[in-house]
Amino acid sequence: MRIGIVCPYSFDVPGGVQNHVMDLAEALIGLGHEVSVLAPADEDSPLPPYVVPAGRALPLPYNGSVARIAFGPVSTARVRRWIIRGEFDVLHVHEPLTLSLSLLAVLSARGPVVATFHTAMTRSRALAAAQGVLQIVLERITARIAVSALARKVQVEHMDGGAVEIPNGVAVAKFSHALPLPGWPGECGPGRDGAIGFLGRFTEARKGFPILRDAFVELARQRPGLRLLVAGPGDADDLFGRFPAELRDRVTFLGLVSEEDKARMLRSVHLYVAPNTGGESFGMILTEALAAGTTVVASDLDAFRRVLDGGRAGRLFPTGDPAALRTGLADLLDDPDARAVLSACGDQVVATFDWPVVARRVLEVYAAAIEATDGRVMDTEWVGLD
Amino acid sequence: MSDFWWVVAATLVGLVAAYLVWTAGRVGRLHARAELAARALEAHLLRRAAAAAVLAERRYGVELYAAARIALDAEPDEREAAENDLTRQLRAVDLDPGDPDCEAVIAASRRLALARQVHTDLVRDARAARGRPLVRLLRMGRRRPWPRYFDIDDPTLTVPADVPAG
Repeated sequence: MRIGIVCPYSFDVPGGVQNHVMDLAEALIGLGHEVSVLAPADEDSPLPPYVVPAGRALPLPYNGSVARIAFGPVSTARVRRWIIRGEFDVLHVHEPLTLSLSLLAVLSARGPVVATFHTAMTRSRALAAAQGVLQIVLERITARIAVSALARKVQVEHMDGGAVEIPNGVAVAKFSHALPLPGWPGECGPGRDGAIGFLGRFTEARKGFPILRDAFVELARQRPGLRLLVAGPGDADDLFGRFPAELRDRVTFLGLVSEEDKARMLRSVHLYVAPNTGGESFGMILTEALAAGTTVVASDLDAFRRVLDGGRAGRLFPTGDPAALRTGLADLLDDPDARAVLSACGDQVVATFDWPVVARRVLEVYAAAIEATDGRVMDTEWVGLD
Repeated sequence: MSDFWWVVAATLVGLVAAYLVWTAGRVGRLHARAELAARALEAHLLRRAAAAAVLAERRYGVELYAAARIALDAEPDEREAAENDLTRQLRAVDLDPGDPDCEAVIAASRRLALARQVHTDLVRDARAARGRPLVRLLRMGRRRPWPRYFDIDDPTLTVPADVPAG
């Protein structure tokens, strides 16, 4: 199949949508399809061979943060040209309701269009005012995908339409084959040593870092050699200031990490902790930790419970309870067999999120969109679903 | 001065005409698409019923076979009920994803679910466009029947090994 994918955000900046688009494109290419990705980027920036740059992206404030997007007459012309030259069987746009290449592509498309909605964007006042314009965009879309239950709910309740829920994939191989950082994870014997990991913005309350901090401080005093590995945006002095002076050398801070270093970081610990107190719609990081083969300890949130198969693929603790977290960490650090049981189940869970598996589900949506434009049913062999 | 007003009037007439032509094209396009989606849905219904009939002959016997036959032969006004009945029959049997005939039914049901979803969305779009006051007033799209929803339960079959998508 010839597939054209449009990414609204620039590849020059890392982000969830960009990673999703790249992983999906690579998985589809791996399944034998021809894929071209259109994304805002400078002509001279280093890009994978399947990406077509659509020119520089401008930073614009959007939805509370700054989005780097491309929009305007020049971009419109480039999008048109790319669509005409590509002769795609299906056009797959991401976040089509942002002012971006995706929106332009939807308006220029002639054939079947599949749209993926990532954020659980609720209907804003601006959107309500633009309802007529919105409808013109939405009715050019043939099939819709939502990456989370929350994003799908927004589709159903506010955009007047259904959407197929297909979760984010995980490039399992990238995580399971990553090399641990030098010197990590080290020994982990009964009553001593062990390494615990946390990734995320430690200053943000709903990420729950204070809960992990309390549990770690208590446990590290009883358990010599226990180490904590923290990655994510933030200031090192601020982080170390949160720990008593005698424990500071047991905490390692990596700062903001790249995708590769994230995989290495997850491979470098015995236990990955997600102490979030709410607001997670999916829990991508948990599937990544599972893919790395690391045992996960997470708060008992709905999203986490679903990913961890009700607690069979990872240990759940009552949300916001440092004492329960400490007990859970101590138990698992002392019990390699329990960790192995959880990891084995984690492997099964993560297999359903592996990108080739997810990409096959996306291909079925492509087939449905093409069929609805064409009136004929495609053979699975032709779609490459087998 | 009168030249100026002529120009204004001609521009206005032109704009209104362009808007009407565009709207008529939009209504026609949405109707055509809903009809094509209905044909794809129909084809997927037939595929599922055929796969179910094959499976029934090989393994599960009379009741499933009868449901599949009834779905294949149903009159348009009994179609929805017959398809729902087939879904119920398929849910009642124990499907083994390792068996190729079972896998064919599971895959056909999954793709039917997608076709149904897409069809419902496209019918909704077409009906919304057709229901707009201007479109009703000028009776655009009167040569085509109103697109109809095909109201069946979600035909997806859950396989035991399937992990719920988070």
